[in-house]
Amino acid sequence: MIAMMNTPRRKWNVSAPDEKTERLVWESLSRAGLIEIGPNEFPDRIRDMKNLVISRLNELLEQKSAMKERESAAYSLGTLKKLETTLQQHPPKSGRSRS
Amino acid sequence: MKPPIQPVRTAVDWPPEAGQLISFRTDEGWKTGFVKEVRWGLVWRDFILEDARVIPEHKVEGCPQPPPRRNVSDVTQDEREFWEERLVSMAESGLDPHEREQSFWAELNQYLAYTYLRFKQPGHQVPNAEHRLGT
Repeated sequence: MIAMMNTPRRKWNVSAPDEKTERLVWESLSRAGLIEIGPNEFPDRIRDMKNLVISRLNELLEQKSAMKERESAAYSLGTLKKLETTLQQHPPKSGRSRS
Repeated sequence: MKPPIQPVRTAVDWPPEAGQLISFRTDEGWKTGFVKEVRWGLVWRDFILEDARVIPEHKVEGCPQPPPRRNVSDVTQDEREFWEERLVSMAESGLDPHEREQSFWAELNQYLAYTYLRFKQPGHQVPNAEHRLGT
């Protein structure tokens, strides 16, 4: 059973025909430390992604034609900043059980 | 180390259906749980267990290699913004992402992976990524 999370029920086009490309994508995610983020790694990973989005946003600002992508990137940057700020106000509690 | 339970599964009967017992990797070794549902996230599938734990598909014993993945371009703007608003809402409500295998941890992890795939440029490396090789 495959259930969508609050999204229309349809089968996604999972990527896949090129196994080599897929392996490279997963390796890339692993190198970036994003396949399984440790409990105390979120601040670092959020900061990494903020820097990535800022870098892309700077490129888009030089392109007059990429308005929609620019707005989308700015929105996502805002989300990352909100998450960062909010999580800073809720630091990990000591003694918490983690697997 | 082998999982305690090694279900015989092939690509044909993957993913496991609701009610089936699965084994999955954790930092503490292999654990098991009963599948309640399987749902797509922004990048990969999560297995929701009957006790509400959320297990990424790639940690589950028998997962195809490489694991199935959604293309970034398949995620609509509406879906992305829905995820973003929900994550902020979860954070503001005081949910703790440090609780591994809980929904906030799982969704935040997927969102950051999605963001990386969405914005990374060819040849780009996340700063200090070399220190995380092998993670």
